[in-house]
Amino acid sequence: MISYFLARRYLLASRREAQVGVVALAAFLGLALGVAALVVSLALLAGFQTHVRSRLLSETPHLLVTPAGRGVFHDADRVGGRIAEVSGVVSVSPVARGRIWVSMGRDAAPAEVVGREKTKGLVLDVAQARPLGIVPGETVTLVSSRSRLSPLGPIPIVSTMQVTGLAPASTGRRAAEASLPLDEARRLFALGPDGATGYEVFLKDAAHPGKAAAAVAAALGPSVAVTTWEEQNRALVLALRLERFVLFAAVFLIVIVAGLNLAATSAVLAATRAGDAAVLSVLGASPKAVERVFRAAGGGVGVAGTFFGLAIGVAAAFVLGGFGLVPLPAQLYGLGHAPFRVDALDVLVVGILSVLWSFVAAAIPARTAARQPAVEALRGV
Amino acid sequence: MVSETAPLLVAEGLAKGFGSGEGRVEIFRDVSLRVLAGDLLAITGPSGCGKSTLLHLFAGLDTPDAGRVALEGADWAALAPAPRAALRGAGVGFVFQFHHLLPELTAEENVALPLFLAGRPEEVGRREAREVLDRVGLLGRAGAFPRTLSGGERQRVAIARAVVRRPGLLLCDEPTGSLDAAHAARVFDLLASVAKERAGAAIIVTHDPEWARRCATIKLLGEEGLSDVARSAFPAVSGGQTVV
Repeated sequence: MISYFLARRYLLASRREAQVGVVALAAFLGLALGVAALVVSLALLAGFQTHVRSRLLSETPHLLVTPAGRGVFHDADRVGGRIAEVSGVVSVSPVARGRIWVSMGRDAAPAEVVGREKTKGLVLDVAQARPLGIVPGETVTLVSSRSRLSPLGPIPIVSTMQVTGLAPASTGRRAAEASLPLDEARRLFALGPDGATGYEVFLKDAAHPGKAAAAVAAALGPSVAVTTWEEQNRALVLALRLERFVLFAAVFLIVIVAGLNLAATSAVLAATRAGDAAVLSVLGASPKAVERVFRAAGGGVGVAGTFFGLAIGVAAAFVLGGFGLVPLPAQLYGLGHAPFRVDALDVLVVGILSVLWSFVAAAIPARTAARQPAVEALRGV
Repeated sequence: MVSETAPLLVAEGLAKGFGSGEGRVEIFRDVSLRVLAGDLLAITGPSGCGKSTLLHLFAGLDTPDAGRVALEGADWAALAPAPRAALRGAGVGFVFQFHHLLPELTAEENVALPLFLAGRPEEVGRREAREVLDRVGLLGRAGAFPRTLSGGERQRVAIARAVVRRPGLLLCDEPTGSLDAAHAARVFDLLASVAKERAGAAIIVTHDPEWARRCATIKLLGEEGLSDVARSAFPAVSGGQTVV
């Protein structure tokens, strides 16, 4: 197309022209830096979010099956077997969840606890252990909210256990939670040998739990409630999405500002080539064709700057992530260095938006140049 | 479709002035002209009498304060910008006093530019451009940029560009004004012959009697319009031949 042919020649020639060359170079570098910054920022955020998400998925059951009301499951194996038959389910574990008092010496504190089959001993959350000054190896008394009948009347169910470990505060958990063996939890909550308050289900495709959740709900009927890991951690999932949007919008402002330099490039080019625009009109170019030439010139700088910026940004993200060049305090983040993850879709979206903005920014001065009467420029040249 | 006898250009009652209020200057009024196929017309007059402005009106680049201009039957004033540009590209060739070649393009590309703007494929445009460059004796300089060409060569490239689409009307604004006498004579002779081969008619604006007297018809532009001038009023000063 002739407009791109001429624009390319103008831009190549601008290397020899101080006026156009300087503004074109400034626009090119500004846009490239803006795009590179955006790609690196998104890669860093994607790296962190992937880390958080994987931790979340390893700690949180992908589906949580609970009774719809206040009841409990009395035939845990049978219900668990029906859940296990649902397509996409990898494992099903009954759990006994409830609230107890943890007591040591003269101090006591309420605590959420969950009993799981594979848990060995009592593991307290750091947040639960700290107020009572509990350290691993100490013995504590667990007092249930349920009671049993004795010759003296109803008395609370009590258990004495040794604390085998402290769990670090986990990602996305709404409240601190202690864990203990399932049988001990069944005894504390008087659930019987085959009782459970719910099931923790792990899926083959954790990223899309909705379909499996619907299948489990359909298999068990309306008496159960099925919540996905996204629903259980709704606040965190929303925060991650919002964080991504806000970061994108904030850093894209750099691209917006850099894009305005393209308007200046287009304007300077149009001003210095007013005579050429007039000659093009004389040779039969319509105002729109003349506009396309200057828009293509400004947009061309934008395309070049965008591609250069994408290349720099992707390379920087791979180098920074691959060689671990951004160290982090591991005890705080659970990571020795900042993770970078380049998402192809991010790169594509950044590239498309940057190129589109480049052409939009270059369009206004190009239109103004095209509307200048050719005779005025001809008298001036 | 324009018939053989229909005029290529019709200008009726044209008037043009610049400025407004007390500072307004009337350049000319009541200019009427009919140009037929095969005409080679010189418009002469003193500097500042509006010769270039009149050419701009003929080419549809400017609008008259009064009167109308029609090219090949189409009234410029009735056309929207896009069809106006298309008619200008196909129907008008323009040679300026200064070549006005685009410095970033080679001679071949400059000549092919009207064809590119008309949407011809690049190969076709370049081939036709080389044919015309060959006609003006510059095929060997097809790849040269304007800055490396002499003044005469640049003007010959500009002439090639003006006729590459075989326009109905060739408008030349002081085409030899920037050249020395020797180059001017060669360029004028080339212009006249190329115009005859590749354009329907030509109007040459010049204030130089030497070039005016070589044209078949000579018109003098004044405030009151165009008036006929006898060729005998312009004696040959350098032995130049009458073209038509």
